Amino acid sequence: MGDAAAAQAPALLSARGVHKTYSFGAIPVEVLRGADLEVVQGEWVAVLGSSGSGKSTLLHVMGGLDKPDRGRGEICFQGAPIATTHGARLDAYRNRDIGFVFQFYHLLPELDVLENAMLPAMVGNWFPWLGTRADEARDSARALLESFGLGHRLTHRPAQLSGGERQRVAIARALANTPKVLLADEPTGNLDVKTGEGILDLLSERHARGLTVVMVTHDPAVAARADRVVKLTDGRVEVAFEIER
Amino acid sequence: MYAALLSNRYLTSRLIPFIAIAAVALCVALVVTVVSVMTGFLNMLKDSGRQIVGDVIVSTGIGGMPYGDEFVADLQGLPSVQGASALIDTIGLLRMPYPRGDQKEITHVQVWAVDPASLATVTEYANDLYWKPPVDSDAAQAMAADDPRRRLDASILHDGKTLTESRTGTPGIALGMHVSVGNARQRDGSYLPRYGWFMPDFDVTLTVVPVSSQGKIAEPREQIFPVVNEVQTGVYEVDKNRVYIPLKEGQRLLRLDEAPLFDLDAEPDAQGRYPLIGMTPARVTKLLVRAKSGTTANALRDQVEVAYQAFAARIAADPLRTATMPEFINVLTWEQQLRDLITPVEKEREMMRVLFSLIYLVCAGLILSIFWAIVIEKTRDIGILRSVGASRAGVLWIFLRYGFIIGVVGSALGVLMAWGVIRNINAIHEAIGSDAPQAIWIGTYVLSGLCALALIRAIWRGKLLAILLWLLGTSVLALIATALALHHGTLIWDPSVYYFTIVPDQVDWTTAWSTALGGVLFSVIGAAIPAAKAADIDPVEALRYG
Ligand SMILES: Nc1ncnc2c1ncn2[C@@H]1O[C@H](COP(=O)(O)OP(=O)(O)OP(=O)(O)O)[C@@H](O)[C@H]1O
Ligand SMILES: [Mg+2]
Repeated sequence: MGDAAAAQAPALLSARGVHKTYSFGAIPVEVLRGADLEVVQGEWVAVLGSSGSGKSTLLHVMGGLDKPDRGRGEICFQGAPIATTHGARLDAYRNRDIGFVFQFYHLLPELDVLENAMLPAMVGNWFPWLGTRADEARDSARALLESFGLGHRLTHRPAQLSGGERQRVAIARALANTPKVLLADEPTGNLDVKTGEGILDLLSERHARGLTVVMVTHDPAVAARADRVVKLTDGRVEVAFEIER
Repeated sequence: MYAALLSNRYLTSRLIPFIAIAAVALCVALVVTVVSVMTGFLNMLKDSGRQIVGDVIVSTGIGGMPYGDEFVADLQGLPSVQGASALIDTIGLLRMPYPRGDQKEITHVQVWAVDPASLATVTEYANDLYWKPPVDSDAAQAMAADDPRRRLDASILHDGKTLTESRTGTPGIALGMHVSVGNARQRDGSYLPRYGWFMPDFDVTLTVVPVSSQGKIAEPREQIFPVVNEVQTGVYEVDKNRVYIPLKEGQRLLRLDEAPLFDLDAEPDAQGRYPLIGMTPARVTKLLVRAKSGTTANALRDQVEVAYQAFAARIAADPLRTATMPEFINVLTWEQQLRDLITPVEKEREMMRVLFSLIYLVCAGLILSIFWAIVIEKTRDIGILRSVGASRAGVLWIFLRYGFIIGVVGSALGVLMAWGVIRNINAIHEAIGSDAPQAIWIGTYVLSGLCALALIRAIWRGKLLAILLWLLGTSVLALIATALALHHGTLIWDPSVYYFTIVPDQVDWTTAWSTALGGVLFSVIGAAIPAAKAADIDPVEALRYG
C-alpha cells in the first residue's frame, strides 16, 4: 500500500493534533505536541522513537486508555471521534473495536491461560445465561491459543509461562473480540530476538488476513516488519520512510 | 460472568480473604456474645423478679394492716387477678446448727411469714422448693451417688409446701438455698451438703424483734424451727437472705396476732380486769398480687388501688369493726419494687452497649483497612480489566460481590461461634473459674518445646521468616502454659454481683441478626470504597501499579 493509496482511503483510526502534558508538581512536561497519525484499513504502521519520546502515550491515547489534554486533539475511529469521557461507549470501544498488547503482557495472575484469552469476550458478554455466546467465546479463544501453539497450556497460570508464551496469550486476548485494530506497545521489547521474531510472525500472519496493526517500537529492525514506519520526535509524528517489498 | 469468576478466584487463591473472614467473624462473635449475656441477665432478672414477688406489691408501715385475709379474698375475686397472698416481711437473726469459732454461727435474714398455699398462687414458691425426691428412677440414676435427694421421700416437699414438719406437727422454716453454708453448688447446678450439713436434718433458732404500732421496740423473741426445706429462686440476693415461716408464727412472734381488746374507759371488775369488748384483728405488712396473663402490672396496680379504697371504706362503715385500715399504703409494680436490683444491671448493659459500639467501630475500621489493602493490591488488575473494556460498574461489582461473600461467610461464622460459646457459657465459666487441668498446661509446655526444636532447625537452616515464626510460637505457647499453670480460677460473673447463680445461655437473636447484617454491610462498604476509587482512575494510571 503506497502513500497515495493511504492518502486517498478514509482513515480507520486517526489521531489529530494530540497534545498530552504530564505535570510533576509545578513543572509541566509536554510529551505530545500536536501528534497526527492516520491509519487506514488493513495497514501495519510502526511508530519508531527513542525511549521517553511518548510512543506509549500516543498509543494509549489512540486506544482510549488515556485522553488528550482537554480540547487539544482528538482521536477518530471510523470517522467519528471516540468518547473522551468515561462511559459505556468508551468501554465498548476498548472492548470491541481495538485490541491492546502491552510490553509487560499484563495478564491477570489469578486466571488461567484460556480464561485470560477469553476475558474481553466475557467482559463484553455481561450475562452468563446467554450461554451460547460464552461457549462460542471459549471455543474461539481455545482455537486461537492452539493456533499460537499454546494448546497444551490452557489451564496454566501466567506465572508458569515464559515471556514469549505470555505475550502470545496477550495477543490472543487482544484478538478475542476480533477487533478492527490491534495496538501493540513494544510487543517484543521484553523478549529475545528469536522469540520476538516468532511474535512478529504471528502479527504478520494476522495482518495478512486483514488485521490493521499499529505497533510501537524503538527498534528499527522490528519496525522494518511493518508496511509503513513513522517516527515520533519532539512530540510530533514525522513520516520517515516506507518499507519496500 | 467475569465478575463472578474473578471474585471467586480472588477469594480462593489468596490467604488475605481468610484473614478478612476471620476478622469479621471474631468481631461479630464478640459483640453478639457480650450483648446476649447482658441482655440475658436483664431478662432473667425481670423474669425472676416477677416470679419472686408477683406483679403488684402492697406494703404498709411496720405496724401492718388488719383484715389482710379479707382484702386478699377481695383481690382474689377481681377478674384480672390470678392470685393474692398476705405476708409479714421483717428482719431477724438466725442461729445456725453449725459452729463458727467456739459458738454457733448467727446470720441476719429477711423473714417472710407467709401462707404457703396462697403464696404459691402468686410466686413460684412451690416450684422453687429445692429438696424433693427424684421424679422417677431415670432421674435418680442421673443424680450423683451421694446426692441427698436420692434418699428423700415426698414428705419433704409436702412439709415445704405447708411449712410444717409433718412428723411432729411443729411449724417449720424454709431457708433460702444460700442462707446456710451447707449447700455446695455442683457443676451441673445441683447441690451437695458440705461437711454433712444437710439442713432439713437440723433445727435453727430464729430471733425477731416485735415493734408496736407506736413504733416502740419490744423484747426480742426467739423460736426454734425445724428446717423443712430450702428454696431456690435463682436470684442470689434472695436465696442468700430470705427464710420463710408460717404466717401465724410470724404474727405471734411479732405481736401482730389477734388479741383481746379491753375497754380501758370502763370500770375494772373486782380482779382489776377491764371488760372485754372484742378482738383486735391479726395484721400483715405486705400483699403480693399476681395478674392473669393479658393484664399488665401497671393496670393491675391501678385496680388494686381502687379495690383498696373500696375495702377501706367498707371497713370504716362497719360499726362492728374494732380496727381501721391505714390511710396510706404503698402499691408498687414488681418493676418499681425491684428497681434497686434492675437499675444497675440496666445501666451496665447500656455501658456495655456504648463500649461495644466503640469496639464495633474499631472492627469496622479493621475490616475497611483489610479491604483497602486487598483492593489496592489489585489496582493493576483493575487497569487491565478497564483496558479490555470492563465498565467501572463491572469492576465495582467484582469487589462488591467479594466483600459481600466475605461479609456473609464471616458473619455466619461469627454468629455460629457466638452461639457455640453462649450455649456452653456455663461450662466455660466453670472452667475459667477453676484451676486449669494439669494435662492442658503441661501439654502446652510440650508444644512450646516442639516449637523450640523447630526454631533450632530454622536457625540451622538460616531461614529468617521461619526463625521469626517459630520464635513467636515458642514464646507465646510458653507464656500461655505459664499463665495456665499459675491460673487458680477467677469467677468472672460473681453471683453476688449479678444476682444469679447461672450465666444466661440464650443467644439474643435480634442482636445476632443486626450485628451480622452490620458485618455484611461493613464488608461490602469496605470493599466498595477502595474499589470505586481504583475504578475511577484512568486505566493507564492503574496499570502503572505493581
Ligand atoms: N503518568 C505519567 N506521569 C508523568 N509522566 C509520565 C506519565 N506517563 C508518561 N510520562 C512521561 O512521559 C514521557 C513519555 O513516556 P512514554 O511512556 O510515552 O515514552 P515511550 O516513548 O513509550 O518510552 P519507552 O520507549 O521507554 O517505553 C516520559 O518522559 C515519561 O516519564
Ligand atoms: Mg513505552
